[in-house]
Amino acid sequence: MKKLLSILAALLCVSAAYGQKLVIKGSDTLGAKLVPQAAEAFKTTHPDVAFEIAAEGSTTGIAAITDSTAQIGMSSRRAKPVEISAALAKGVTMKPTIVAYDGMAVIVNEANPVTELTLRQVEQIFTGDVTDWTAVGGNPGKFSIYTRNTSSGTYSDWKELAMKKRDYASSSQKMAGNEQIAAEVAKNPNGIGYVGLAYTHAPGIRVVGIVGKDKIAVLPSNQTVQAKTYPYARPTFFYTNGEPSGLTAEFVDFMLGAEGQALVQKVGFVPAVQH
Amino acid sequence: MRNIAKTGLALCGGLALTAASALAQDSGPLIDLLVKKGVVSDQEAEELRAELTQEYAKTSAGKLSLGSSVQSFKLSGDVRIRHQMETKQTTGKTATDERTRERFRFRLNGDAVLAKGWTTGFAFETANAADSGNQTFTNSNDDYNIYLARAYVGYAYNDNLNLTLGKFKNPLYTTDLAWDGDINPQGLTETYTFRFDGKDKLEVRALQNIMQDNDEKNWGDAGNDAWLFAQQLVYTKFFGANSLILAPGLTTYSNANLGTAMTNETPFAGTSSKLTMLTFAGEYNFANIAGSGNGIKVYFDSSYNFDASSRVSQVYNVNTATHGKEAFAWLLGVGYNHGSGKAQGDYSVKVDYRRSALGALDPNTSDSDFGFGNLNQEGFKIGASYNLLDFASLNLSYFYTTAIKDGLFQKDGKTTPTVAKLDHSQILQADLVVKF
Repeated sequence: MKKLLSILAALLCVSAAYGQKLVIKGSDTLGAKLVPQAAEAFKTTHPDVAFEIAAEGSTTGIAAITDSTAQIGMSSRRAKPVEISAALAKGVTMKPTIVAYDGMAVIVNEANPVTELTLRQVEQIFTGDVTDWTAVGGNPGKFSIYTRNTSSGTYSDWKELAMKKRDYASSSQKMAGNEQIAAEVAKNPNGIGYVGLAYTHAPGIRVVGIVGKDKIAVLPSNQTVQAKTYPYARPTFFYTNGEPSGLTAEFVDFMLGAEGQALVQKVGFVPAVQH
Repeated sequence: MRNIAKTGLALCGGLALTAASALAQDSGPLIDLLVKKGVVSDQEAEELRAELTQEYAKTSAGKLSLGSSVQSFKLSGDVRIRHQMETKQTTGKTATDERTRERFRFRLNGDAVLAKGWTTGFAFETANAADSGNQTFTNSNDDYNIYLARAYVGYAYNDNLNLTLGKFKNPLYTTDLAWDGDINPQGLTETYTFRFDGKDKLEVRALQNIMQDNDEKNWGDAGNDAWLFAQQLVYTKFFGANSLILAPGLTTYSNANLGTAMTNETPFAGTSSKLTMLTFAGEYNFANIAGSGNGIKVYFDSSYNFDASSRVSQVYNVNTATHGKEAFAWLLGVGYNHGSGKAQGDYSVKVDYRRSALGALDPNTSDSDFGFGNLNQEGFKIGASYNLLDFASLNLSYFYTTAIKDGLFQKDGKTTPTVAKLDHSQILQADLVVKF
């Protein structure tokens, strides 16, 4: 009998070791490139771990932590008070961990002569206060505004950072991700949109400088985001239920470690931790 | 640096525990400043933000969730306990009817300001009569119903143009001569405001009020909805702290036919046919007399019905050749206020005299307390209010009315119109009102 129990225990241990799975859901900004690459790198030292990554927007990541359907919720925005309350009601404590910084770049078609915009002009364009490129020194033509969809953290972050929390112009077109926005702007001479730093090198687009109160045009970069001189910079998060533990903690530590932060930089984000 | 960070976190954390609700609202700029000064790192700041939000979510206020479109939401109301003494004598009788009643009224209002100029709201109260929220304490500890008194949607197109749909507070500038203060009109209303130097302004107010909904399958008058249309200009002019308001208006009705009695109003289920009323109301406020914060107000209201002859003759069946057309109703009053009426110790008194002529007013909307809602009454109303506390007041109201014309018989020479059967009346109301 003892022998049988020992065999059963050994089998359980083996199956547990081989059955480890990390479910990560949320932000497209993080989940399109950075986290899948980080997962691959992590697997080199943890070959038994399986990853399930779903990048469908920050809202889905925060909801997944609330509903306990993921161990990590990726988010490019802070959890809203109502989301934190909803989580608390289910006994979940939202714990944010900054894994990288991102600069949200304003992009135009590469043929567009406009090279810089003021904070006010960006607000006017995305809210629909102005409708034609001539209003901001461009060639005649109506703006084609490309934004993220409403479940995206970037969608709401942009409203907060660039639009004084006002609503988007009714003519704006909602895209599924950064890559789609960059592709549409590249095709459309009157296009304008915003993408994360990691997507600013897409073909056919150009990043415009943002003129702030000091009248100096600033482009998004590692330096300007770290120095907080670029106005549209933001932290990106891993949300967990309380302090991460076990495999979740190992992956979070990996992301904040030298290898993870090097990946952050390689993919086009700004590291959260200097090594 | 680490110690400073800990101090900063301890400071915020300590404050969070003592005043989580306030900090959750206000801590953002403080945390940003701590980050900017290098007192805390971005990561520590994020943890603090999340912690403060979680602390706030545990408070009573944090558990109340409103839709993201709600910019502000105000919940308010009042409870009024009333002792009422009434006496009245009907025309041709010698006996006086007397009654003493204990009554109460409960009102609950919810008013929300939404994004992009939209508003919405509701009000519940304890009675379904349009002109009263009162319930009389009756038998055997009965319970009482709650009714929906207001439900509206508003839209401000800009600073000048406001539209409201639904059932809403009376948008007209008026006194209770023509409009009982408890009536919440239903339909739609528009206000356009012209602004001049200082606070002076001219408002154009319009009301389209559904008075009677009829089923269009019926033939003739019974198949037409009856509407009240009121248009009013309200001019407000300031003379330093003093102010003048003048408000001329015109009220007409459509499809208020002789054969279609209004059933939405007490005490009379009568028609609003033959009413085309020119109204004129206003007031002059002597505010802050001698820097005391006290004020005197002189106010007036009036109504002239161009169709009074037809109304008296056809609706009330009274011989106008004998009794006249009784086309003009008026009210003149004066009031004194000590303080704003919102603080403990504030008080106010006012008295007005009015003449509610038979053909001049619509009894469906006129005050239901003055002469018990009867027309052909003149007399006065005295009111006094004293604030026991900022939120509680004692109010007294006294009405005394007598018939304008005695022997106001109908054409058959025997009976008097239902709406004009009162010889004289008195009502005394003593109220305790608590607001929240």
